[in-house]
Amino acid sequence: MSPELTHQNNSEEFVLAEQFEQLVGVQPIGQESSWMQNRRQAMQAFAQLGFPKKRSESYKYTPISKWIESRLRFETNGPSIKSIHNGAAVGAEAPPSAANLELKHSAGQGVGRLSASWNGESGIQVQTSNGRLSGTIKGVVPEGLTICSLQDAMVQHPALLNTYLTKAVVLDRDPFAALASAFAEDGIFIHARAELTGGEVIAIHHDALDTNGFVQPRVLIVAEKGASIQVVEHFPFLDSGRTFENRIAEIFVAEKARVDHVLVMERSEEALFVNSLFVHQSEKSYFRTNTVTLGGGLVRHNLNFLPNAEECETHLHGLYVAKGKAHVDNHTLVDHAKPNCFSNEMFKGIVTDQATGVFNGKVLVRQDAQKTNAYQSSKCIVLDRGARTYAKPELEIYADDVKCSHGATTGELDEDAIFYLRARGISRDAAKMLLLEAFARDVVDLIAVEDVRNYLYTRLNRLLTVLN
Amino acid sequence: MLDIQNLHVSIEEDGTEILKGLSLKVGKGEVHAIMGPNGSGKSTLASVLAGKDGYEVTAGSVAFDGIDLLELEADQRAREGLFLAFQYPVELPGVSMSNFLKQAVMSVREHQGKEALSSGALLQLMKEKAALVHLDPSLKSRSVNEGFSGGEKKRNEIFQLAMLDPKFAILDETDSGLDIDALRIVADGVNSLRSSDRSFLVITHYQRLLDYIVPDFVHVLMNGRIVMTGGKELALELEEKGYDWIKDESVQLA
Repeated sequence: MSPELTHQNNSEEFVLAEQFEQLVGVQPIGQESSWMQNRRQAMQAFAQLGFPKKRSESYKYTPISKWIESRLRFETNGPSIKSIHNGAAVGAEAPPSAANLELKHSAGQGVGRLSASWNGESGIQVQTSNGRLSGTIKGVVPEGLTICSLQDAMVQHPALLNTYLTKAVVLDRDPFAALASAFAEDGIFIHARAELTGGEVIAIHHDALDTNGFVQPRVLIVAEKGASIQVVEHFPFLDSGRTFENRIAEIFVAEKARVDHVLVMERSEEALFVNSLFVHQSEKSYFRTNTVTLGGGLVRHNLNFLPNAEECETHLHGLYVAKGKAHVDNHTLVDHAKPNCFSNEMFKGIVTDQATGVFNGKVLVRQDAQKTNAYQSSKCIVLDRGARTYAKPELEIYADDVKCSHGATTGELDEDAIFYLRARGISRDAAKMLLLEAFARDVVDLIAVEDVRNYLYTRLNRLLTVLN
Repeated sequence: MLDIQNLHVSIEEDGTEILKGLSLKVGKGEVHAIMGPNGSGKSTLASVLAGKDGYEVTAGSVAFDGIDLLELEADQRAREGLFLAFQYPVELPGVSMSNFLKQAVMSVREHQGKEALSSGALLQLMKEKAALVHLDPSLKSRSVNEGFSGGEKKRNEIFQLAMLDPKFAILDETDSGLDIDALRIVADGVNSLRSSDRSFLVITHYQRLLDYIVPDFVHVLMNGRIVMTGGKELALELEEKGYDWIKDESVQLA
């Protein structure tokens, strides 16, 4: 039995597999690019895994199947879904070719455009529409830095793409990453050559989505030996209905290179957002990411770190504020395979109303990874009795000379702290606000780009004022 | 200034009665000391006056400058000019001293009808008042009490007292955990804040603080009531004889 047939022929998986076949067609093996071969493998992996089922262990606290069903409602005679971008274009417009990409997807084409963002004048600014590059690149792109669509990169930098594209993705245990890799028609490619050591800031504004759209945006970032860049991705609030973004990012940090990454998620409460991040680090490299979730309906971050060389330094920071019925799930894996590496993980959350916060942090220290220092902490403040949190730290250590620690706390705001502030004349509401802001700012303080920090301070202030 | 009449207070959670008919009057500009053995109710008194949750007042009244103190929330009491220097100041990670003081001073001054301070004036005031207790002015960018030494925390309480300029200040075992030098700094700070408009209630376990902050009256709190009142000499007597003789005496009186 072929893998595709393990699913019912009206299931989302079956329809997606069919769409994949229609999209890529059948070409004799051997004449296909390595990218296309990878995509076929990814489709096979997805067909085998399928979307997570209700009792799936890694989605135990996150009812994702319900959200997927309501967004990918296929009928047996083809999909009823309006548009699928970056792939499966049955019933939708054929994707534009790389050549006319910039003209066709000019800014403002998408339904929900961003009304306010940080006043990011510094650095380089790019925009996406339905996951594809759109508009022109603002700012000066220095020598040594490439920013282009993956389709352009396929023509201009085929060797780089063959080396890196989908190579950091672990297909066989992550259906979302597999699906996104199968339908990887296009995306954004950022490449920093070795001489680019200035920590150039590149902001990607994911500014437009079709109403009820299903998109699989893809980002590939490569920092060559010794290079240093900062990438900020913003998914702002969009009034685009029941969207499903299955986004994937691969980041390669070469020897002694440095990548500082920030993701800010502010989509609407109807948005389903799955984010798969795969980071591959080489010797003496530095990687830091800060995942800030202030919006979205169901948000799942699958953050995977593979410091597969000695003396790597990895920082994972995260902040989430979940209100209403929002569900935010941070699922992290740090897989230490080589000695003398350092990783530090810090997640903080505030949940209120009927919202849910989930944190699952796995740290794996393999037998060879002696002298690993791995730290993890997860803190969550619950403001309402209707809100829920789940925290599951997992340490798996097979090396004997390591320093690892983890701590997870969940609780209400400290009443003693509130009383202390009130005893100084500060009202209960203002006291709570002070404490919540201090709690959350702690994570934002760690973002290097000042524009982004200031933007987030303002957003947090507004958001927390509403919660209070 | 403060008039406590027959105050009965229980712990809300289990109903244990801590204060059992406490009465005390503190006049304007007076300094009163409350001494007593562990568990006599000293800190409960401080907490109840400041408006901490978790206590139930079952009987009695507290008038503060003519208003019913027990009707007010903790923050309202502070805005009316009541100040509590905490026995265990709370650490507030991420809340900067300057932001904290700005909000506190603003809300208190606004309520009292005083003009708002410019940031420059506030900074100047902080500098002045920090000097009273020898606190480094660089503390304004630090988180409230976080990483402060025991002595710094207590000096920080007196610093806040000076910033908020209250009518009535309660010092809850401000001497505990202080070495003699820190004790002197704290006491000097308090003495410089003594005025005919400001009253103090100094709660302490030991007499030595009262060598430096000389009270007008000393009260002995035992088993939830004031059992003896005297002048400053009473503190010395207690230091010498302990509390047992009072127990015996009050049993005889009863």
